[in-house]
Amino acid sequence: MSVLGHVFEGAGISTVSVALVREHAEKVKPPRSLFVPFPYGHTLGKPNDAELQHSVIAAALDLLSRPSGPVLADFDGEGGPGLIQASAVQPSAASIQRTGNRTGNGTNPADELTSMRELYERWVADHDGRTMVGLSGIPQRRFRGTVRFLEEFAENGGADMKERPEDVSVPQYLRYCVDDIKAFYYEARMAQRSKATEEEIHTWFWGETAMAKLILDVAKRMNETDDSELKSFAYGLAR
Amino acid sequence: MPRLDALSEVERKTITFFPCMEFDGTPWVPLDKPLSESKVALISTAGLHVRGDKPFISDFKGGDPSFRVIPSNSKPGDILQSHVSIGFDHTGFYKDINIAFPIDRLRELVERRVIGSVSENYYSFMGAIRDPRRVIDNTGPEVAQLLKDEGVDLAFLVPI
Repeated sequence: MSVLGHVFEGAGISTVSVALVREHAEKVKPPRSLFVPFPYGHTLGKPNDAELQHSVIAAALDLLSRPSGPVLADFDGEGGPGLIQASAVQPSAASIQRTGNRTGNGTNPADELTSMRELYERWVADHDGRTMVGLSGIPQRRFRGTVRFLEEFAENGGADMKERPEDVSVPQYLRYCVDDIKAFYYEARMAQRSKATEEEIHTWFWGETAMAKLILDVAKRMNETDDSELKSFAYGLAR
Repeated sequence: MPRLDALSEVERKTITFFPCMEFDGTPWVPLDKPLSESKVALISTAGLHVRGDKPFISDFKGGDPSFRVIPSNSKPGDILQSHVSIGFDHTGFYKDINIAFPIDRLRELVERRVIGSVSENYYSFMGAIRDPRRVIDNTGPEVAQLLKDEGVDLAFLVPI
């Protein structure tokens, strides 16, 4: 990011950047940089905390008054929780029993997804249409087809979707589909439990849903090949 | 991020070993007018695009150096993210896009007359780019020119 500070300022435009890693900003030396103690993904502090976000922005803009640079200042605030690798959440024995075999008598991912639709739609309606679902281009009401795609891929590694644009590889398209489904589940859960912390949502998704189990099966199938591209996508899916 | 000594060993290593360019000199362009009269552009490395535009490509060797135009009058519901990195928690961004793309906050700063105006277009790059040369040589200067064409005084750079 801070590399762009050099590019733009070199072209004659003043810049201010926010830095998440102080040690990187010390090396790159962008013209004006405000180090914040927040974790990745939380650059301006906390979601839905406009006051905190404004105070970070104000501290950054304040650096414009410095007469010379490079300037690297520290935002005076408390950091949040550290980096969460969500898929490291291990499913509890009880949840494994509850979800069971996804093709057996337990909940299967497609039905589970359908059962969350109402919650997801409530999230979208309550947030002025804001949703991170949309990368695959498939409308959420047709996600049962996406689930079949994932199931087929997990089964034999050879599935494809007619919606996949020609210039997008199958693994890349799988990633878009999985990102869509994750966003759908997370937003549905946030509609259901507005007070849930991020860690609680991760624990629920990766520990208790049939969908997460399916995603991990897709990643496993990718990891079984010798294709290093597929393996790197597998890593991205099972976040 | 918290200071490195407050992180776990894995997190610390991930950050320490991420390739990072070192610069000796730093260009310096003072803002030549009050902030309250300046035009501000938001620049993101959160891998954002407007619904209907193309997502970023995850397997571009060295990192996808391309950029996307995000009109500043976009509604948060128009904006999607295809960030390749799994090294951050996306949940905060699901909850509130302003946490890393403060599109509403900048509008409020115009209303409060803290900044003069916002540019017509904002821009997003992909973050976590291991090889930034194409950004430095090609796409970065392209965006710089677009900003200059629009008379932008200040670029506010926000990573995720």
